[in-house]
Parts: sequence; C-alpha cells; structure tokens
Amino acid sequence: MTPERSQKVKEIFQSALVRAPAERSAFLFDACGGDKALRQEVQSLLAAHEKDETFIDSPAYQVVAGSLVAEKPELNVGQTIASYEIISFISRGGMGEVYLAHDTRLGRKVALKLLPAAFTNDKDRLQRFVQEARAASALNHPNIITIYEILEANSVRLIAAEFVEGETLRQRLSEAPPSLAESRHIAIQVADALTAAHKAGITHRDIKPENIMLRPDGYVKVLDFGLAKLTEPRESGSEDATRALVKTEAGVVMGTVAYMSPEQARGLQVDERTDIWSLGVVLHEMLAGELPFAGETKSDVIASILKTEPAPPRHFNEKIPAELERIVSKTLVKDREERYQSARDLLIDLRRLESPNRRQNENATQILTGRPTLGAAFTEGIRKHKLSFAVALSVLLIAAIGLGYWFFSRSAPIESIAVLPFVNESGNSELEYLPDGMTESLINGLSQLPKLSVKARSSVFRYKGKQVDPQQVAAELSVQAILTGRVVQRGEDLTLFLALVDARGNQIWGEQYNRKLTDLLSLQSQIARDVSNKLRVTLSGADKNKVAKDYTANTEAYQLYLRGRFHQSKDMPQELRKAVEYFQQAIALDPNFALAYAGLAYAYAPLSDLSSLQPRELMLKAKEAALHALSLDDQLVEAHTALGYILFEYDYDFARAEREFKRAIELNPNDSDAHRAYGELLTYLGRREDSLAELRRALEIDPLALRANCEYGRSLSFARRYDEAITQLKRTLELDNSYWLTHYNLAITYNMKGDYAESVTERLKIQDLFSKPQTAALMRESFAKGGWQGFLRAMTPKQLPPNVPLYIAATFHVELGEKDKALAILNQMYQDHNYDLVMLKVDPRLDPLRDDPRFQELMRRVGF
Amino acid sequence: MQSSEGITELLIDWSKGDPVALDKLTPLVYDELRRLAANYLRRERPDHTLQPTALVNEAYLKLVDQKNAKWQNRAQFFGVAAQLMRRVLVDHARHHQADKRGGADQQRLSIISANKVAKQPELDVLALHEALEELTAIDPQQGQIVELKFFGGLSIDETAEVLGISHATVERDWKMARAWLRRKLE
Repeated sequence: MTPERSQKVKEIFQSALVRAPAERSAFLFDACGGDKALRQEVQSLLAAHEKDETFIDSPAYQVVAGSLVAEKPELNVGQTIASYEIISFISRGGMGEVYLAHDTRLGRKVALKLLPAAFTNDKDRLQRFVQEARAASALNHPNIITIYEILEANSVRLIAAEFVEGETLRQRLSEAPPSLAESRHIAIQVADALTAAHKAGITHRDIKPENIMLRPDGYVKVLDFGLAKLTEPRESGSEDATRALVKTEAGVVMGTVAYMSPEQARGLQVDERTDIWSLGVVLHEMLAGELPFAGETKSDVIASILKTEPAPPRHFNEKIPAELERIVSKTLVKDREERYQSARDLLIDLRRLESPNRRQNENATQILTGRPTLGAAFTEGIRKHKLSFAVALSVLLIAAIGLGYWFFSRSAPIESIAVLPFVNESGNSELEYLPDGMTESLINGLSQLPKLSVKARSSVFRYKGKQVDPQQVAAELSVQAILTGRVVQRGEDLTLFLALVDARGNQIWGEQYNRKLTDLLSLQSQIARDVSNKLRVTLSGADKNKVAKDYTANTEAYQLYLRGRFHQSKDMPQELRKAVEYFQQAIALDPNFALAYAGLAYAYAPLSDLSSLQPRELMLKAKEAALHALSLDDQLVEAHTALGYILFEYDYDFARAEREFKRAIELNPNDSDAHRAYGELLTYLGRREDSLAELRRALEIDPLALRANCEYGRSLSFARRYDEAITQLKRTLELDNSYWLTHYNLAITYNMKGDYAESVTERLKIQDLFSKPQTAALMRESFAKGGWQGFLRAMTPKQLPPNVPLYIAATFHVELGEKDKALAILNQMYQDHNYDLVMLKVDPRLDPLRDDPRFQELMRRVGF
Repeated sequence: MQSSEGITELLIDWSKGDPVALDKLTPLVYDELRRLAANYLRRERPDHTLQPTALVNEAYLKLVDQKNAKWQNRAQFFGVAAQLMRRVLVDHARHHQADKRGGADQQRLSIISANKVAKQPELDVLALHEALEELTAIDPQQGQIVELKFFGGLSIDETAEVLGISHATVERDWKMARAWLRRKLE
C-alpha cells in the first residue's frame, strides 16, 4: 500500500470513528466515493476496532505477565506422579505450585498442589495441617473446596483437590471489580463456609482474595483451609513473632499482611474472629475498590491495622447501603470482643440485606432507632414458644381435614380445590416462608384425602403475589373451590383469615383466627372442636394420622425445613444450595426428621446436574439422605421418589427404581412428582406409551408443573415425535421462559430434527440463564462463521467450554463422525456414573453408534 | 541488580550503538520487567491502585539515576527504554516458543488460570512484533506510538511528549494502529 493510500485510509477511519456507529456506513459510502476496495479496507479496520477495544491497551509486561513470570515448573506436562497425570501448570503462589491433573484411577480432573519442602519438614506442623485440611473438606460444604487426598510421592507433598473452574477473587478484582450485589453474594458464601468451618472448630487464618475462587456459575469456593497451620509463626504471643512476620519476604508466605487481623499482627493466639476480620477486609476491598489498611511497607500496613480507622466504604461509593457499611465496620473492630462474634451472625446480617423486597422505610427505621425488625421479634417470639408454631400448623391441617369432609357432606360434593398461597400481610418479606410454608402444608395435608383433588404447589404458586379473581382462578385450574388465606403477625399477635370460595365466586365459608402466640397451645383443641362441630364429621384415626402427620416436634427444625422448601422450589443451583443448608440445619436440630432428609435428597440430586460439583459425591449424599429418610419413615412418598431417581440416574438400577416409584404412587396416587419421575424412567427405558401416560397423569394433577411439562416434551422428543415435542415445549415456555430445562429440551429436539439454527438459539438462552457469556459468544461466533459443523467443532475441543456437558459433547462427536471420541467420552461417563447416560437407549442422536460392538457393550454395562 | 549508575551508562552506550552494552543490559531489563509483571500479578503492593505508568516510571527511576543527568531528557530515556523492553519481550517470546515446540503439542497455561487462558489466549508477542514492523514500514509514526505505548508502557501524554506531537494525534493514530494490528493478528 502506498503511503498516500494509507494516509487516506487513516483519515477516513478516524473521521468515521468520530461519528455514531449508525451513521458510519452512510459516511463511508460518501467518503470513499466509488472506491469499493477503500471502503472495505476501512470497514474491516472499524470492525477490528469494535471487536476489542482493550487489545494491547495495557502495557506489554502486563499482557504477557503470565509467561514472563512463569519459571519452569517442578512437574512437567504429561508426567505422572502417584496416580495423577499432569495436564497443565496452573499457577504458582506463596504456597507452592498448582497443576491441573488427571486422576487416572477415578478418571476425574483434580487440582494438584505441590507444597514447598520448606513447609513440610516439620512433621508436627504437617500433621496439624493435614488434620485440619481434612476436617474442613469433610464438612462437605459447597463453599469449601473438597480435598481428595494428601499424599507424599517422589519425596514431595501433594494435595489433590477438587478442580474449580473459574478465577480467584484477586484476578476478578484486578479485571472488573464485582458489583454491589456480587460483592454481597461473594461475602455471603464465604461467611457461609466460615460458619460451617468454625462450627467444626476450624479457623482459616488466611482469608484473602487469593483464597477465594469464583466459579462462572456464581459459586464461591474457599481454598486452603488449614494451610496457614504450616506457615504461621511457631511462637505465638511473642514480640519476636511480630517481627518475624514483618521481616518475612514478599511472596514467600505472608505476602498478605493487609488481610491480617490486629491480633494476628500482634502475634497473639487467633480464633475464628480473625477470619471475620479478614473477610471484612475483603468485603471492604470489593465495595470500596481499596484496601482499608494500607501503607508503603509492611510495617506501615501493620501499623495501620493496629491504629487507623478505615475510611467508610460509602466514601468510595455512595450507593453502598448504610446497613452494609455498618456490617463492614462491625467486622473491622480492632477489639475482637466488639467485633462480630460469629461468622453466623455476620452471615445472617448479610443475608438479611439480600432480600430485595425489604421495605426501604423499614430499613431506615431500623438503622435510625436500632429497633429490631418485626421479623426479629417474631423469630424471638417463636423461640420463646417452641411448639406453638407446629401446633398452629396442626390446627390448620385439622381445619383442612374438616374442610375436606365438609365438602363431601354437601349435596353436590366438591371434589377439587386449589389452595392459593396465603398472603403475607405482616409487612416483612423475611417472613415470606411462613405463609408459604402454611399453604404448602395445607396442600400436602389435603392431597392425602381420598376423593379430593387438590391442585399442587407449582400450579397455585404462580398466583403468588398477584391480585387474583378466585372465579377466574377456579376456571383456569378447573377446580370447584378456592381457599384463600391471609396471615398477619404483629408482635405477639397472629391472625389468620381463611376464606373458601366456589367456582361462581361465592364465599361458602370464612373464618378469622385471632390468637396470641402465647395462647396458641391452649387454642389448638378449641379450634379443632369448632371445626369438627361445624362439619359434624369424625375422622378415622388412620386418616387423621395421615393428614395431620407430625414429622417433627421441633418448631425451629420445622421452620428451617420450610425455609429449605422455599428455596428448593426455585430449582437453580444457588437456591438448591441454600435449601441443602436449611435441611441440614433442620436435621441438626432434629436428627429424626424424616421429611428433612427427603428434602435433602431432593435438593442434592438435581444439584449434580445443575452444577459441576462432583456428581458422584452429591448423588451418594442424596442417596444416603433418602435411605435415612426411609429408615425413619418408610411411608414417605418424597423419599421413595427421590430414591427412585437416584437409583436410575446414578446406579442405573432401573428395576429397583421402578419399584420405588410404584411404591411412591401407591402411597399417594395424587403426587404429581412421583408420576413425573416414573414417567421419566419409562422414557429412558423406551416404554413410550407408558411414559407419556404417566407424564399426562402428572400433568392432570398439576397442569402447570414446569418440570412435568418439560419432561412430557422430552418424552415426545425421544419418541421421535419432534413437532409435537416442540409444540409442548413452547407451551411450557409460556408458563415460564426462564426455566433452563425447557430450553435444553428444545435445543436437543431441534438438534434431533436437524433444525440447527433454532437449536443454537436455544443453547444461547441457556448460557444466558447461567450467565456464561464466554460460552455463548463462542457458540454464536462459531455458528455464524462455520455453520453447524463449525459449531460442533468449536464445542468439542479437548478441554470442553464451560457449561457444555460431556454427554452433549459426545453427541456432537457422533455428528462429526468421530465415533471413537464419542465412545471414549461415553465410557468415561460410565466410570463417573454420569446421569446423562440414561439417555443411551432412546437417544436418536446416538443411532450411528448402535451397530458398534463397543456401544453395545456399553449399553449392556449400563443395564439396557 | 547492578547499581543504577551502571545501567545508566549502559543505556547511554547502547543508545550510541555499542552492542556489548546491549548484552549486559538485556538480563537487567528482563529482571526488572519480570519484577513488574510479578507485582502486577500479585498486587502485593500495599497501594495496589498504582497505575501502569507509575510502575514504568518506577522502572525509570530504578534504571536511571536522575541525579546523574547524562540523559538529555526524559523523552529520550523513554524512547530507548521502550525499544529495549520490546527487544527483551520479543526475545523472551521467541525463547518461549522454542520451549513449546520442544514440549510437543502440550499447551502451557499461563500463571493466571486454566480458565482464563481458555477464554483469552495470551497475546502472541512474536506475531505482534512482526506485524508492528510491517506497520512501521507503512506508517513510521504509528509504529513508534505502539512501541512507546505498548512495549514501553507509556501513557498517551507521555507518548506525545516523547514524539513531540499532540495528545489528540497520538490518540487517533493509536486507535488506527491498534485496529490495524488487531486485524493483522486474526
């Protein structure tokens, strides 16, 4: 290109940049006249400009910092140490090198950490570290990294831990600082991890952004529990210790004085309140973008930790709520006696902040006056009157039985009813789980009654928070009656209004219950008497037991269970994780609470397919919980259903799974979940008609159940009735277009049908729902550039993009004609007990493999 | 590290065309860049909000004893330093690539993390260097701007100062050069 030409290109390019993007095209036509080549040249430069405005924007030494700093690592790629084959070098830090490795025994990826010899020579210390690291890992907390093994090989110490895909909070802070909501979200998860660890007597001692991993799906994992045991100064409590700390060279170990608590800096004995401080520093850094305690040298930093009051985070960002700032400052009180005393208290405060419905004015009042909220008062009230809460629920259930029988005593019996979510009128969204839980218990109780069809939870909860016309709802749900309720709680007073309305909108019954929390116990019998007098029916003992079954006598455990259910119903990883935690807390309070175990099994199992947590471990835990629930109560429908799932998805034991589902249905023929689960199993067994019939039954009971609608669509896909499947799935999207599973089923259906553009579109939606912009971008670009083949290639590199399941990759390999690779993946999945393998028999995408003896062998091993 | 005076002398010698000075300088600059890079990655400095330019200015202070005013001006130093940094980084990349070839097709992941590398492969410095030579042939000023700003870590203002042109010109040319290189590297 001549200099003149290049000068011209430059001029037009620069003039175009000054214009708004929408005007550029017209400008180029003008400026380039008829010179098409010139126009194209500028256009391609503009495209390159738009594509990446950060390209080489940072200095070179930063852009290539990684390879600049990296020295030759200890271990080589391809080398095998113990049973681990090194795949790649990941990082080097004060505590040694980390590699990505392949565990050849268990066929999984692990992070392998090499401990520097300097830290492992002292056997006592090493022992303490090993103990503590194992103990933390044994907590099996979703926010604590799992350690698989600590071993010695080739005279080096190694830690094999769960491989977490993502970045450290440190990396995150240096790229795009987290938003307010993210910061809170991260702090909550770390506090959660600390709560569990502290409960088990384990202090981390080195909480800092380098030890906090952020997964792309929003999970946070705390690393290196116990590691500080190896590095802290030997003699605690001495001046020498402080000096030793200060002297320690950067990058060796204590490179992070900034996160140290005052007691740590003084070399005093530390306890869990040190972790609270360090988390406070991290939180401050996330919110303010700056460390609270800084200085030119380490001694300056330490001096600042000991003496300076940090600038409040709001000084840096006005949007930070006052309450959050108060929390931060309470973590950073120099006198640990005045600090948060437990991570749990911190967690509770952070969580309370999280609730988006919290009323502004209430918030303000609380801060101004320091008065506890109604919620706190209520919880307090509940604590004071243990049992009364459970009693209140029993009362409801008995009332429900009464209602049920009352229907039958009418000349034209009511055979179907929907209980709408009770409205929380306490003005405190913290208490939302209470009316929700009451509603749900009532639904469950009523659904046990013979000859009464009760609309299931998912069908009625879509009306939650909406002004509804009962008549219209009755028509929509095709029921003969609607029961509504309102719950008001003020201090010690609890009021419940119930109203029963028929399909024409006439109220057929109404009652108001005004009770003092303290009086609830004595009122129980009175209300029960009122109801039965009114209805003039007596229940057989068996029925009464069945309907008003008390699963626990522990009020708090029951509350926790309800909270767990509340989160579980949202069916997203984050929510399920919370559910797991509440169920665990419920079990801790009442180890014989069968329903909570069933909840646990239920919440664990889908987690294994929603997140990349180790499916094997989750499934084992789920199974254990389900079996435990059944050992406590073998009549528990939920537990049979959960166990059935685990048996077919994890154990590939289809016969036993079928028995469990049948048993669940036998125990409660009106349980939509049980029918749906059974329908799923039948889909994979290829019993098409039976499968569709079960799923239709599930939908009769609960027409708006998302999952059942979704599975019905999937069953049609596997029956190769693609168009019907698509119609069904699109209808499901009308119920809720943010349910990932519907999009997933649509994606695979379009794929089977050969409608690739639509398939990619649906896949993109899933990536959006799970916030995986990188994977989405990769999908979009590869398809735009290389069509379906390009897309398939892009989705099947050696290292799969995040959020692309192995099974999907296998089907892609089949489409690419790469049978060997597909079979390798499928066999690996078999080793891992991957649940997706249940599709093996019926999946049309695998048809090209069916003649292959290796595939037949795999089918046989899976048990088809 | 050698005393700063030594480095200053070496830089002056090199800028006068002494090839031996370069041999001596290279490892020193390499060490300094590695230290900067390590700092950048670890952000261990108590004040971690330091701007990149501040870090390079720090390098400047390290490399040059200011009292020893043998430099005509800051600009001259930056020009020479940027050139040297480019050399060192390109050498490093060349070395690195040879390593990679030796290690068959195994991909060496950067220190940052496996995931990060997957989404953003580390820049191919060699390719950039070659493209930059091509760009310099077409438009020498753009070539210089990239050398100063990217390899030397200078700000737009400093680049303008070194080249004796306006801030606006640097900014405009920088955008153009970046787009050109970006396209070239695709």
